[in-house]
Amino acid sequence: MRNDTALGLQEARGPWARVLRFVLYTVLFAVFAGPLLALMIGAFTPTVDPTQFTLLPDRLSLDNLERAIDRNVLDYLLNSFLVVGGGLALQVLVSVFAGYALARKRFRGSAVVLVLVLATMMLPEEVLAVPLSVLLADLPVLHVSLVGSLVGMIVPVAAWGFSILVMTEFMKEIPKELEESARLDGAGELRVFWQVVLPLCRPALGVIGIFGFTMIWDQYMLPLLVATDPAQYTLPLALRSLRSDDQVGIGVLLVGAFLAMLPSVLAFLALQRSFIRGLTSGAVKG
Amino acid sequence: MGESLCVESGHLARTDWTETLVSKQLRKQEGGRRFGALAAVLAVAAVAATGCSSGGSGQQQDESAPLEVWIRQDAGSPAAESAQALTEAFSKKSGIEAKLVAVGVTDFETKLQQRTAQKDLPDIVINDTGQLGNLVTQGLVREVDREGVAGSADIADRAWEAARGYDGKYYGVPFNSQAFALLIRKDWREEVGADVPKSWDELTELAVKFTEEDPDGNGKDDTAGMVVPGTTTRGYLTWWFSTMLWSEGGGFVEKQGDGYAPAIDGAASVEAVEKLQAMFCDSKVVQPGASTADSSTTHTVFESGKGGIYLTGPYMLPRFDGSLGKDKYEVVAAPPGAGGTATALAEGENVYMMAGSANEKGQQEFAEFAASPAGQKIGLGVDNGGIIVRLPVNTTVDGAAERGDPRWDVFQKAYDTSGRNAPALPNWSTVRQISSEGLNGVVSDCSRDVAGAMGKLAGEIDEELEKQGAKG
Amino acid sequence: MAVTEARTSSRGTGGVRRPPRTAPPMTTRLRRAATPCLFLAPALLLFLYFKFIPMAQAVRMSFEEVRPFLGNTYVGGANYSEIAGSSDFGAAVWHTVVLAVATTAGSIVLGLALALLLEGQTRSLWFIRSAIFLPVVTAMAVVAEVWRVMYYPAEGGALNSVLSVFGMGPSEFLNSPDSSLASIAFVGIWRGAPYDMMIFLAGLAGVDRVLYEASAVDGASRFRRIWHVTLPGLRPVFAILLTLAAIRGLRIFTEVFLLTNGGPDGSTEVLLTLTYKLGLERNELGVAAAGTVLLFLVLLVLTVASRLRRKEVR
Repeated sequence: MRNDTALGLQEARGPWARVLRFVLYTVLFAVFAGPLLALMIGAFTPTVDPTQFTLLPDRLSLDNLERAIDRNVLDYLLNSFLVVGGGLALQVLVSVFAGYALARKRFRGSAVVLVLVLATMMLPEEVLAVPLSVLLADLPVLHVSLVGSLVGMIVPVAAWGFSILVMTEFMKEIPKELEESARLDGAGELRVFWQVVLPLCRPALGVIGIFGFTMIWDQYMLPLLVATDPAQYTLPLALRSLRSDDQVGIGVLLVGAFLAMLPSVLAFLALQRSFIRGLTSGAVKG
Repeated sequence: MGESLCVESGHLARTDWTETLVSKQLRKQEGGRRFGALAAVLAVAAVAATGCSSGGSGQQQDESAPLEVWIRQDAGSPAAESAQALTEAFSKKSGIEAKLVAVGVTDFETKLQQRTAQKDLPDIVINDTGQLGNLVTQGLVREVDREGVAGSADIADRAWEAARGYDGKYYGVPFNSQAFALLIRKDWREEVGADVPKSWDELTELAVKFTEEDPDGNGKDDTAGMVVPGTTTRGYLTWWFSTMLWSEGGGFVEKQGDGYAPAIDGAASVEAVEKLQAMFCDSKVVQPGASTADSSTTHTVFESGKGGIYLTGPYMLPRFDGSLGKDKYEVVAAPPGAGGTATALAEGENVYMMAGSANEKGQQEFAEFAASPAGQKIGLGVDNGGIIVRLPVNTTVDGAAERGDPRWDVFQKAYDTSGRNAPALPNWSTVRQISSEGLNGVVSDCSRDVAGAMGKLAGEIDEELEKQGAKG
Repeated sequence: MAVTEARTSSRGTGGVRRPPRTAPPMTTRLRRAATPCLFLAPALLLFLYFKFIPMAQAVRMSFEEVRPFLGNTYVGGANYSEIAGSSDFGAAVWHTVVLAVATTAGSIVLGLALALLLEGQTRSLWFIRSAIFLPVVTAMAVVAEVWRVMYYPAEGGALNSVLSVFGMGPSEFLNSPDSSLASIAFVGIWRGAPYDMMIFLAGLAGVDRVLYEASAVDGASRFRRIWHVTLPGLRPVFAILLTLAAIRGLRIFTEVFLLTNGGPDGSTEVLLTLTYKLGLERNELGVAAAGTVLLFLVLLVLTVASRLRRKEVR
């Protein structure tokens, strides 16, 4: 119990420690979440004040929500869910495979591959949009078109440099002995990967799960290029058009943002679970 | 018949094109290496040689081929519904199938670029007049024969002017127009006991009163006289300032010979910019944060009762009626300034007939229908509130009467009597961007000498005009 | 620097790494060579299609005047000189570097502090961590809206009210060329610190608790424990964050675009906003491509250099 966290802050008991912890949490909450919550409250007031936050508005209204629903926000939400579901599953799979090869295998050119992976994160997608749009409509060699279906929004996000990098760095830390003892027991490549290495990467899986979710959820350019009809729009596309529409105020945008935020927060709550340690140290030392 | 005509006009357009392209290439290379110039010329020659096939004017024609119609409106918005009604009415009348796609305001350019890259353009695009130069330089639009458009004479001359390219030819059929006017908080004006301003100086005085005399009576110094979108994004500051600058007798550019020359460093212009700087620096009548505010911010400032005077278009009336209340503000034409006559920025949308269509006859019919009284009335959106025609381009349609709202008359009059289109440069939006940077500098740095800064800006505009081949 | 230190000290505590090997038989060697390829294949194939091919085309575009409908024309380095010759180029590069360094350093330091303070399993910690993570999962458009209100440059503004409690302000924040860059960096840190915190937390979960016990037995102070046990254990995290930071920092665009678009008076112009103005806003895709290829090259050089350095250290 005593040595559960680096700082050991949680173990301190007594009234002063409690007060201090409370003050700390309050300040952190106010700084990071306060402004956003105030703005979310703004989503449920008739007009948003551009100069000040009001935590206690005169009256609440669902006008903005109704207007957002009028603009089919719920349909876009469903599309977003479909894309993030398929995309994240593929992305995690691809990342752990690639991370495993880069971290646990020594082979010629692994450094080059890593730089290539990093290079994919270096060009802004606005510039790639034009070549990408031609490519999506007619994939070279395969001659398949990904335009006009949600599949086209899922497949390209399946490989993401960030996830691969995170998996690689974390997998490097797993002691070699574990892997080797499993091999001595006659485990094959896939079993070593699946039953030894992967369970030890739970915290890293949590990280790529959370960030992968956010990344796919926030995808903007790709759905824009793939969608041929508003019926295929995802939430971020809808958000952008709500902001640019002169006829709807910021309030409707905020409602949209609120809806967009909820799933991410839920995903976050769920995936934090993988940060629980215990498994790790137990296995290493056991 | 459609085919031969199109091939001919296609050829004409292309020759022109090649000329501009060659001269542009050569200019670009002036400081550069010979090799580059040679390669560019060869490349241009290649483009010219493959000319007709790639341009798409040779597209097989089919007079019953369905049309794909794009409008710059957000999907699901009332405006998109009006556009849907317009295309349906067109199909019913002509028997030509037409599919409407509402492409969002923000993403219109990206989506169009995508289709351009795929060499598969929509047949019709309803887009800002300001995009004309861009569409023409990229070769995306067909030329329009003004006299050949049915009902051409009923369409306002000023609207036609906004459909005209730098070369004097027409590249679109007018569909919608608008001018800017002032929205003034009537209750505030009565509170401070002032009259409707008759000049820009009086307007500024009113703004000072709004700023200093606590017109909303809440006891706090939290009101601003003038609401200004002063960001450089999309050239907003230039866009807002145009009306003031022209009314004060200045200008960004002026006609000179066959082309244009910068005018922003002229005496009248410099004086107007000094007045602008004073609004930010001395009287401080603009809302706090104005120099980085975009229009979505300024809309909110006005509707939340933090600002008193807002120069904007008629499309904002429905929103402000809802949020602020119809009785709280009045619509007033922008007053004359030192220039003596009132001038208001005019804008609008054209129906562009895109290149490479399989049904050019249908394209023309659509454009004619959209500009006809029937099409215009649908666009006014009287029944469903989705306004895609703000001020009708067709002079036989009385928009204000159709709407039963006299405030729209103010905008109509402003357009008719003092409306002024943006200069017909090959690419006005670039000059707009450059100017907004220069103006933003002057209002952000109060110690900056206006005459000097405008001299520098004029130099930059001059350079850009040269680049566009629009120098007089 | 931190990476090297963490690396060497982890050696000291890590124990045995590689047992001696004997040359394996031929078939095993072949299999060994094939395995990484198979594991990497999905990622590399996807990258080839959706990243490398478009990237190669973007590089080609940077030498062309791009007119998709009429055909592109080769213009040599004209696009590059358009960007690099722009009078704002030097300032933009400087602003980019300043912002990148400030946000990276701020986010890492604050993120580490948050992770250390909020590590643990209690319910209240779960809640507060989720709350702190909100800025990361909020769309940038909304974040910009929030900070516009926070930074409202008049006396009654949200942040100015806070400042006045401490007898400071009112500040112009985004609206004055003197404070605009710092204001943007602050938003970057506000959004970056929780991001870094998450990765640090994952790293902390992986630190061997037995070592904590050992250091407690030795009677080491909290500070010494963090310095000698925790930080070395966070080695992978520093490696990730520093690599990402360069990319994330130098690529800064959306924040600036939405908050100031380079203004007021060009005081926050960064490389990508300049590129956007000269290229995308004017529909000159070749120029836009050139601007980003320039940035790409800088990033690539930085990455390769840091990888080589780490290899040397190893």
